[in-house]
Amino acid sequence: MIQHIENPVVEVHDLMVSYGQNPVLWNVDLSLPAGSLVGILGPNGAGKSTLIKAIMGLVEANSGYSKLFDQELNQVRNKVSYVPQRESVDWDFPASALDIVMMGTYHHLGLLKRPGKKEKELAMDCLDKVNMKNFAGRQISELSGGQQQRVFIARALAQQAELYFMDEPFAGVDMSTEKALIELFREMTAEGKTVIVVHHDIYSAGKYFDWLIMLNMHLVASGPTAEVLTEELLTKTYGGKLSTLADLGEIIKKSGFNPLKD
Amino acid sequence: MSFDQNAFIIILTGSMIAISCGLLGAFLMLRKMAMTGDAISHAVLPGIVIAFLISGSRHGLTMVIGAGLVGLIATACIEYLTQKVKLQSDASIGITFTSLFAIGIILITFLANQIDLDQDCVLYGEIAYVPIDLWITKAGTIMGPRTTYLAVINLVLAIAFVSLFYKELKLSTFDPEFAATIGLSTAGVNYGLMGMVSYTTVSSFEAVGAILVVALLVVPPATAFLWTKNLKKLLTVTAILGVLISFLGYYLAYLLNSSIAGAMASVAGVFFFVSVTLNRHQIPRIKSKMRRLREEMA
Amino acid sequence: MEDFLYFFSFQDPNVLMVVIGISLLSISAAMVGTFTFLDKKALVGDAISHAVLPGVCLAFMFSGNKNPYWIVSGAFFTGALSTYVISWVARYTKLKEDTVIASVLSIFFGVGIVLMTQLQQTGNASLSGLDHFIFGNAISIVREDLWVYGALATCIIVVLLVFYKEFKVMVFNRSFAESIGLPVKRLDFVFNSLMVLAVVTGIQAIGVVLMAALLITPAAAAKFWTDRLSRLLFLAVLFSLISGISGAYISFSLPHMPTGPWVVVVLSIIAFLSFFFSTKKGILTRWVSRRKYQSKIHRDHILKALYQAEEHDKKGLPQKDIVDNFPGKVVKTHRTLRQLKKKGYITNDRELVALTSTGNSEAKRIVRLHRLWELYMTEYMNIAPDHVHESAEKFEHIITPELERQLDKSLNFPKEDPHQSIIPRDQNKP
Repeated sequence: MIQHIENPVVEVHDLMVSYGQNPVLWNVDLSLPAGSLVGILGPNGAGKSTLIKAIMGLVEANSGYSKLFDQELNQVRNKVSYVPQRESVDWDFPASALDIVMMGTYHHLGLLKRPGKKEKELAMDCLDKVNMKNFAGRQISELSGGQQQRVFIARALAQQAELYFMDEPFAGVDMSTEKALIELFREMTAEGKTVIVVHHDIYSAGKYFDWLIMLNMHLVASGPTAEVLTEELLTKTYGGKLSTLADLGEIIKKSGFNPLKD
Repeated sequence: MSFDQNAFIIILTGSMIAISCGLLGAFLMLRKMAMTGDAISHAVLPGIVIAFLISGSRHGLTMVIGAGLVGLIATACIEYLTQKVKLQSDASIGITFTSLFAIGIILITFLANQIDLDQDCVLYGEIAYVPIDLWITKAGTIMGPRTTYLAVINLVLAIAFVSLFYKELKLSTFDPEFAATIGLSTAGVNYGLMGMVSYTTVSSFEAVGAILVVALLVVPPATAFLWTKNLKKLLTVTAILGVLISFLGYYLAYLLNSSIAGAMASVAGVFFFVSVTLNRHQIPRIKSKMRRLREEMA
Repeated sequence: MEDFLYFFSFQDPNVLMVVIGISLLSISAAMVGTFTFLDKKALVGDAISHAVLPGVCLAFMFSGNKNPYWIVSGAFFTGALSTYVISWVARYTKLKEDTVIASVLSIFFGVGIVLMTQLQQTGNASLSGLDHFIFGNAISIVREDLWVYGALATCIIVVLLVFYKEFKVMVFNRSFAESIGLPVKRLDFVFNSLMVLAVVTGIQAIGVVLMAALLITPAAAAKFWTDRLSRLLFLAVLFSLISGISGAYISFSLPHMPTGPWVVVVLSIIAFLSFFFSTKKGILTRWVSRRKYQSKIHRDHILKALYQAEEHDKKGLPQKDIVDNFPGKVVKTHRTLRQLKKKGYITNDRELVALTSTGNSEAKRIVRLHRLWELYMTEYMNIAPDHVHESAEKFEHIITPELERQLDKSLNFPKEDPHQSIIPRDQNKP
């Protein structure tokens, strides 16, 4: 069940990605509507993070391409924001929560320019939106996991983008924060922004998202939540990998080079 | 023990070198590339020897460019071995710097008669001779100690680099993935930093030698890291430590009648280990463990 | 040449002694190094080797001469102290391991330099051998040194062989080692001591600055030839021996040359040769297999084109059409056509290229794989029929006969692909 739409905000065409000689995403082909709250579901190692990393140009695709706002990524970087996994950075870095959020304003500044008062105000606003204003001066290693996550989301808000990719924003976050964040995302989508979230809980996914992408190394489903959250598709997503894909992966691993790369 | 003009020149030169190294080293440390810094400082040696051979002097542009290039080549070589040859990263670093350093030592031995560079200089530099090594213009005017001029240029460039690209360095060090998504060239920042580190190593080579540069690159930032919570303070404390190390190092060397560069590293060591001892329970993992232990005892 | 014969005939007992000494230390360093390499601790070896300098100097200070017992004890003491300090600082502060290693390395070395320069200032003539410890000089090894260093190296080798199995388990899977009740902490201690000892035995011949290479490089080079630990050890020892003895020879024939750098240069040459030319994982091997694969793709494409022509009831294709079909690859296409003809896959008469029956069944196989994969993608991966061609163009060259059977089975031996083209099969095969 893969539903394609007209004038998509994100279009992924035949995307195939491998890490070294290990194919992790097979031929993903999807399109997403603007202004929706999208969840990416799938088991561990299904390629959820890889999909958004490939769209953001952080990992190289072996084949296929993706388009945002019907354009190349480089032309629309100002309109796109990415929230990496919390574990991907070292939180011992000597910086305060405000410092981190200010980083969200950097791309508007360009080379050599320093962030000033305006940027600071914006950053404080964004911290306020995630209820972290009181922690602005706190060193980031002294924040809890959930607070660190909220700092990351505040940084994304400071980018003032149209399209947000968030890699596991609810990891290590308590229930009330999760609800508050979802509320925030809803407000954003109500303003016409698109928020795409990597998520791992099937039960809450049905309540949270308008649109679901289900991945299991290949695309199992992409469509409105009500239509794709079915027993059959869930079994396909979580019921083990396709053995043929796994075997093909093994062959590629053994070949000494990656035959999928041109 | 006295504070005369020579002492002042040596301490001043030492401080400037220590500050330049510390400012760049802070980013190396935060990027978990301290050992790459160690590798670069060893690896520039063949570049120094060859540039020396070509230009016939230890100063000047040839030296800086030649040896600086070798530093960049070493960085590229480490990256190539890790990514293309698929060697584990610690071994890539180890192989690259030991082989380049070995080549450097062999060249020095071969050319011992042709160039005024000996193994001792490689090991611990000759900062004590800074006041005697004067820059004399063609007209015969004495402009002052040569190495001190080099250190000034180095310091100006290091401060300029760090302050101009502060934002970029900070972002790409903390979160390279995010930096890439906003279109920042993380590879560019990386090579810029490595280039500056190579240049600084070369420029400081004569004063403190190839190996003790590492002490100035890594130890002051590591010490400052234990005390500070934001990047600007980290850099400030690193710079202050640089001056202290140079000052105390000079007098320690004076007292023991030993190498000044070695004494600077030793003083840095004292600061480092005192800081570690005082801050040894600062990480949450240890904090909670200590708390649990106390509770169990109670 | 005379030098060479004189050296390698070992008629000079001094030469023999040096060779025995350097061989023993090469063997022990390579063996210890293999385990440190696998344990990803290579740079700790670097720290230890720099950190033995203050110990050596202290030994000089106390004994007043180059007494090997004192030197070994002093070097062992500060070397061991450095490993202890590294793990202590890394454990109790937020500093990362690489920063700690670099800091400890340079601080210990700095202290060593202070002690060394101070010793040199005293002008004691018997201290002249001190700088040999920095870059190494195998020729300066005398009988008494050989006894001490040789005994230590032998000790290391024996202990490693005795605990071979335990160390193997520990290096490959620490938590497993713990779970089967191995005393991991004690083994770690033994191993760290061995690592320090290995460095200590090498300092006089190789020198403190470069000793790390003897730990890291042999194992890294050997890793490109084998994955089995026993062979890895053997190769690492072999590489290390070759470079150790050549280094000794070079500093024998050019007496002012320090041994350490030469050993390291020879070792590095072996390593880089391994990286590029290893038949297993070398860069060149990978490049060649990639080239082979690309030729196979080209061959497959020509066969496919011919098969498709047959499907359209043509006897074959004019050679010119085939060449034109692959613009920019004229030479390659001609070469491939010659190869195909030689193998009996095609006939090439009067410029008309046609498939033979062998060629036909090979071409069928490729087309079959292409269409099977297309069908698999639409059936199992929900991909629209108009999006499957590109991927199939890649996988038709990769799918093995085994996978083909598996595909056939999971698709229930289909007759047509998603575009209603027949999936061709050989008549005589089921």
